[in-house]
Amino acid sequence: MLIRLVGCLVVLDSQVAVYMASLTVSLVAGILLGYALRKRGKVNLNRASFAVIIVLIFSLGFSIGSNGELLGALPRVGLNAVVIAVLAMVFSLVFVKAAGRVAGLK
Amino acid sequence: MIKYIVATLVLGVVAGYLNSNWGSISAGVWVSSYVFSGSLLLLLFVMGFAFGMDREAITKIRRTGFRILVVPFAVACGSVVGGFVGGLVLGVDVIASAAVSAGFGWYTLAGPLVGQLYGAEWGMLGFTANFLRELLTMITISVMVRVDKYAPIAFGGATTMDTTLPVIVRYCGSDALITAFSSGFTLSIIAPFTIITIASLK
Repeated sequence: MLIRLVGCLVVLDSQVAVYMASLTVSLVAGILLGYALRKRGKVNLNRASFAVIIVLIFSLGFSIGSNGELLGALPRVGLNAVVIAVLAMVFSLVFVKAAGRVAGLK
Repeated sequence: MIKYIVATLVLGVVAGYLNSNWGSISAGVWVSSYVFSGSLLLLLFVMGFAFGMDREAITKIRRTGFRILVVPFAVACGSVVGGFVGGLVLGVDVIASAAVSAGFGWYTLAGPLVGQLYGAEWGMLGFTANFLRELLTMITISVMVRVDKYAPIAFGGATTMDTTLPVIVRYCGSDALITAFSSGFTLSIIAPFTIITIASLK
């Protein structure tokens, strides 16, 4: 059992760590630069970021569409997956609302 | 805006499907890894920039402080309970079902990991259930943001640090950026451990 568990942890490989670190660095760099330039007035990045979101969503869809394993599994386990996913989401929302009320989040 | 996003997603799925079946494989890898990561890094930078300039958002986050971490832990507990209830409803192994939902939407992790622990059939379920979580979060954002400000962040689970983050910030505003990112980040870190811990309960 223990060996199996250790084997599972190998999934958390260095690639994932690099990915998460690069996202964090990018975000923090943006925040710092934005904060440094905050007195220069407002810039409207809405239109530019919308274009990038479209590119991102397209490539996300692309990787889903190229994933034959996922598409093949959908009709077989789809109904069970919908039930589990929806319940996990609904309970997450209930718990966040409850915890938010206790912790005083607005 | 959400209709453009859903339309683009569908278009992407069709293009990816056609490409992997009739087109060249190398172009597919290029789009789904380099274009994806590149645009995501750029978006995070731009969203961070907008947040850094937004004084109101910064004050709001400062006032909240470390209480922000309540969100990911509530999402973690809620997901596991939801998976447990789902197992009861479907009449399947409740522990395995809770392990599936403990992937928090990170399907590329939950699929292989649950598969290793419970076999290929459960791996497929782990993959699909968590993928649907990401998909449903994305397409329900415009409705759910009216129900509760934190609802899309709760729905998104671990995906709120990358794939669903831009859409969430678009709908919930700049001050949701830090809450969503830190929630997704925390959940991504704890996901492998929660899956394994739940699986070892039996």
